[in-house]
Amino acid sequence: MRFGESNGYERNVIINNLWPFRDYVIRSLNEDKPFDQLLREHLAGDVLKPPQSQAEIGSAFLVAGPYDDVGNQDPAQAAQIRADTLDEMIRSTGEAFLGLTIGCSRCHDHKFDPILQQDYYALYATFAAVRHGSRVVATVAERTAHDAQVKPLQQKLDELNRTRDALNKQVLQRALDKLAEYEKGWPREPVSRKGTEEQFSPVEARFVRLVSAGQDANPENTNQFGIDEFEIWSAEAEPRNVALAKNGARASGASRKIEDFPGAYGPQLAIDGELGQRFLATDGSLVIELAQPTRIQRVYFSSARRETTPDHSKFVFVADYRIEISTDGKQWTEVAHGRDRKPVNGKHRDHRLYQQELTDAEREQLDQFEKDRGQTARQLSGIAPLPEIWVGQRVAAEAKGPFHVFLGGSPQRKGGLATVASLNSLKETVPAYELKPDAAEGERRLALAEWMVQAKNPLTPRVLANRLWHYHFGVGIVDTPSDFGYMGGKPTHPELLDWLAAQVLEKGWKWKPLHKLIMLSQTYRQSSDFRPAAAQVDGDARLLWRFPPRRLSAEEVRDTMLTVAGKLDKRQGGPGFRLYRFMQDNVCTYVPLDKHGPETYRRAVYHQNARASVVDLMTEFDQPDCAFSISKRASTTTPLQALTMLNHQFTLDMAQFMAQRITHDAGPNPQDQIAYAYSVSYGRPPTPDETAACLSVVKQHGLPALCRVLLNTSELIYVP
Amino acid sequence: MTASSTDLKVLARRNFLGNVVQGMAGVGLLHLLEAEGKAKEGWKPGVGMTHHLPKAKRVLQVFCPGAASHMDLWDYKPALEKWHGKPLPGEEQFLSFQGKNGNLMQSPWPFKPGGESGKHISSMLPHMAQHVDDIAFVHSMTSKTNTHGPGCVFMNTGHVTEGFPSAGAWLSYALGSANENLPVYVAIPDIRGEPPNGKANWSNGFLPARHQAIMLSDQQPIRNLARPAQVSAAAEDDSLKLLASLNEKFAEAHAGESDLQARVAAYSLAAKMQLSAPEVSDLAKESAVVHRQYGTDDQNPLKAAYAKNCLLARRLLQSGVRYVNLYCSSRASGVDGLLNWDAHKTLKADYERHCPIFDQPTAALLTDLKQSGLLEDTLVLWTTEFGRMPTHQAGTAGRDHNPDGFTCWMMGAGVKGGVSYGSTDEFGRRAAEHPTTVWDFYATVLHLLGFQHEQLTWYHNGLDRRLTDVHGHAIKQILA
Repeated sequence: MRFGESNGYERNVIINNLWPFRDYVIRSLNEDKPFDQLLREHLAGDVLKPPQSQAEIGSAFLVAGPYDDVGNQDPAQAAQIRADTLDEMIRSTGEAFLGLTIGCSRCHDHKFDPILQQDYYALYATFAAVRHGSRVVATVAERTAHDAQVKPLQQKLDELNRTRDALNKQVLQRALDKLAEYEKGWPREPVSRKGTEEQFSPVEARFVRLVSAGQDANPENTNQFGIDEFEIWSAEAEPRNVALAKNGARASGASRKIEDFPGAYGPQLAIDGELGQRFLATDGSLVIELAQPTRIQRVYFSSARRETTPDHSKFVFVADYRIEISTDGKQWTEVAHGRDRKPVNGKHRDHRLYQQELTDAEREQLDQFEKDRGQTARQLSGIAPLPEIWVGQRVAAEAKGPFHVFLGGSPQRKGGLATVASLNSLKETVPAYELKPDAAEGERRLALAEWMVQAKNPLTPRVLANRLWHYHFGVGIVDTPSDFGYMGGKPTHPELLDWLAAQVLEKGWKWKPLHKLIMLSQTYRQSSDFRPAAAQVDGDARLLWRFPPRRLSAEEVRDTMLTVAGKLDKRQGGPGFRLYRFMQDNVCTYVPLDKHGPETYRRAVYHQNARASVVDLMTEFDQPDCAFSISKRASTTTPLQALTMLNHQFTLDMAQFMAQRITHDAGPNPQDQIAYAYSVSYGRPPTPDETAACLSVVKQHGLPALCRVLLNTSELIYVP
Repeated sequence: MTASSTDLKVLARRNFLGNVVQGMAGVGLLHLLEAEGKAKEGWKPGVGMTHHLPKAKRVLQVFCPGAASHMDLWDYKPALEKWHGKPLPGEEQFLSFQGKNGNLMQSPWPFKPGGESGKHISSMLPHMAQHVDDIAFVHSMTSKTNTHGPGCVFMNTGHVTEGFPSAGAWLSYALGSANENLPVYVAIPDIRGEPPNGKANWSNGFLPARHQAIMLSDQQPIRNLARPAQVSAAAEDDSLKLLASLNEKFAEAHAGESDLQARVAAYSLAAKMQLSAPEVSDLAKESAVVHRQYGTDDQNPLKAAYAKNCLLARRLLQSGVRYVNLYCSSRASGVDGLLNWDAHKTLKADYERHCPIFDQPTAALLTDLKQSGLLEDTLVLWTTEFGRMPTHQAGTAGRDHNPDGFTCWMMGAGVKGGVSYGSTDEFGRRAAEHPTTVWDFYATVLHLLGFQHEQLTWYHNGLDRRLTDVHGHAIKQILA
């Protein structure tokens, strides 16, 4: 399926609470939950009676695909994005359970299969209320118990906040009453983002620093501000800007960072002699070390010197500040400050007034409030929150309708009305349904699910039986498992498919009896030996004259390497591990890791698969991107697989562990070690030739070198 | 059965064709391919065959993510100067990606005529101005989306949703390799990071994984290429010999399984790639003059990095890489317009930063391709996801997204130079004459590469999928 744990598209933000769905699927398969129930839960688990958290988590299926979350103010484009999101749900549902490419009817009636555009928009109306996102998954009893704990504390906190706010208001009002008096202390012009100047008596300095005492957009924030250029002028007949990097000065100061673009907002930008890019401070200061001690008398600095829109929030600047100098970088002396400037805006003025008006007694009172608030907040955070899980939201208002067919697939071109109903073409076969326009949105999804698992529905059990066959034999009876339509493959053994579908119903939709049935068959148990005569007639063994050989899948390759190294961590469930470094600067970047630590030694199914990311080993061995479901994986052989398997640190680590394991279990004798290595890798003893060849490598380069070779062998990852 | 079961035959065929190339010096090969191409049913993917005689053998696609503004770079709009500060007639109030828009805004810089064609482009691109006589501008491009991620993916794959193969992946599938020791398709991301939607831009989609681009730049070598430091040369040598013998023996024991023989071949190709790729990536092999032309020594580290990537692109194309996807700038950062061409708020400051990074190195790369003769069978594309509005965004001095009209261009193999196809209205708001889709653009690209875009398909979930979806007409007017 297209299960992925980031939202894809431009922002591709990681999703950290969809893992319960993976656990739900694994648990359901282990418990052999009947497939009709599984399907109901996938489409409507949140509205089944009685309510059950596990079933609700099942409905995360609807929102396990990618979606575009970038805010779009253009209404036509926003409608298009929403339509694309629903399209993803419609396609996934139709292909996964019915083997029908319903998505092809988005713009017009299906060109090949009997699916009408009406049918597509019936599903559109069915899913219309589903939005991606998280919500609390808990029973009424769990919620009540949780509320009982939280409510009194929250009330206490609110009360404390109210009292504190009232006091603050009082202080400010007192100061405002004396405004004229305060204003006398602010004779100078306010700071300007376009350029602020301070002059002072000539003084020798090796270090100069700007220290923020408050930001212009938020005076309480003393950490963040921007500087596009900071100039320090020497005290001489022809003053020079000695702050310039090209004159030997160096700038330092903590700055905002982009992990994969060092220096994007670094302090060097404040002294590069160029505007446009700016230093974005995160710790309240910019320090400039001059090339040598210099007599200076003036500084000039700005955050938006030549900008046409200096008021924009990206140019935040200091409102209150100090300029300090030092000869050794340790002892600092203030040479200028902005305290006697007029405030830069109302917020700044109020902040200053408040700070100056506050009495010691009031300060003490506030400290006490803070203490009480802190204590209450700690108690609150000590209560385990109800689990928030990525099951999506259901926005009833969006299901109101009326719904229309979109002509040519464009939400801007509305056609006839769409009703919530079953597929037209199956009317004769499966009892049809049509819901009233005001039917609750959950009812619509449930009706669809029930219709799909009707005993008379010919598609659902056949699609399921074919998938089971596909995973056992590498290729289905229909070799396009998500497309049973005209463009898909024709069944190689139609009667067998019919019979298996009947067995699905017979066994009550349980998988395990079907696995048993297939695996005990003669077809399954035959050898995979190659027979040239048979191959001449049926090269790919589609008619199963032998068991089709196969290469292990990407996940199996990794699990196998861990297993032979004796390192596979078999713990089940919980959040996944990551084989990439996750970075976010508005949008997200996933960088593959050079080293895989022990926390990654779990089964590959527990990897937190992000969309549009490249993951070593997984990607090369054909794990598809989870942009949408791929019903049949490719199985390719490439030089890049060889490079990754030979050279990635993971292989080297596994080779080391494997060597340790062998030495531990088989003792110090190299011949025994080789025999043991063969046994764990291939389940057979080595031939004398193989022993001799391996021995030479072990003797010259050590056991880990041999293990690295064995991990790369075809015999390890092919089931011929 | 598996996609690789044909690999061995493919290999044999490639060798055959490779010999033909050497023996018949190219011209013979083209005739051979043309003859084969005429019988469409005889066409096979991955062995260098085309549908018809190709003009281009390889593609360089320069991508400027962030929606590089057409009316500030390529599409001269004198009306904007005249109407500067006045409302956009007929669209006084409209909402675009980030919301409200203000009045019309002229480009902050004058446009100047260049070349014999006298084509006006922005004076911010003085080096690119030298190439206007060789370029076919398509001024009437349109996109389906006004959002960066889907827009970039659309421009690269012909689909706004993720999961479809990019143009380079299609070419890799269609032609296969021209030099087994190097990747077929390379993406060179900018030093500032990946473009919007990241790796989906050079994805193989539903095609087999080997068709995705290999990421490589002057700053980032191919992953896992080098022998690990802790493995000595002697150990490596002996290990690879043992591995080859074990894998060969296993393949012999299962003679019917071509996958197993392909795997032996894959390891020997990997070893060759280990030698070739670092050599091709070694820019020190280029003269000081060349480095200066590209600007690799520029004091702006971003420009120097892009210049090196331009030089790397030329070396890759020269060595048999079929498709290079070269990026100039990256994604939308937390601060508008810093990392890419997405100038919402401060267009002037943003483009004064981006244009110099782009201009000289790109122009030098084009000059180099031309002088070395590579341009004769190399198709150069310049693309971006969409354009920008002729108005300024409310309360700012930047422009919002505009999917209704923008510029892309082509140059090189089979492309008419010094022409401008299609146009936007007098303000640049909408494509007016010959509105052109991304599918038309790629129908043209595939045509030049020797392919009928409707015939290059891959079955996936119910449809024979194409790079051009179910649309596209080659733009005949810009073909030489």
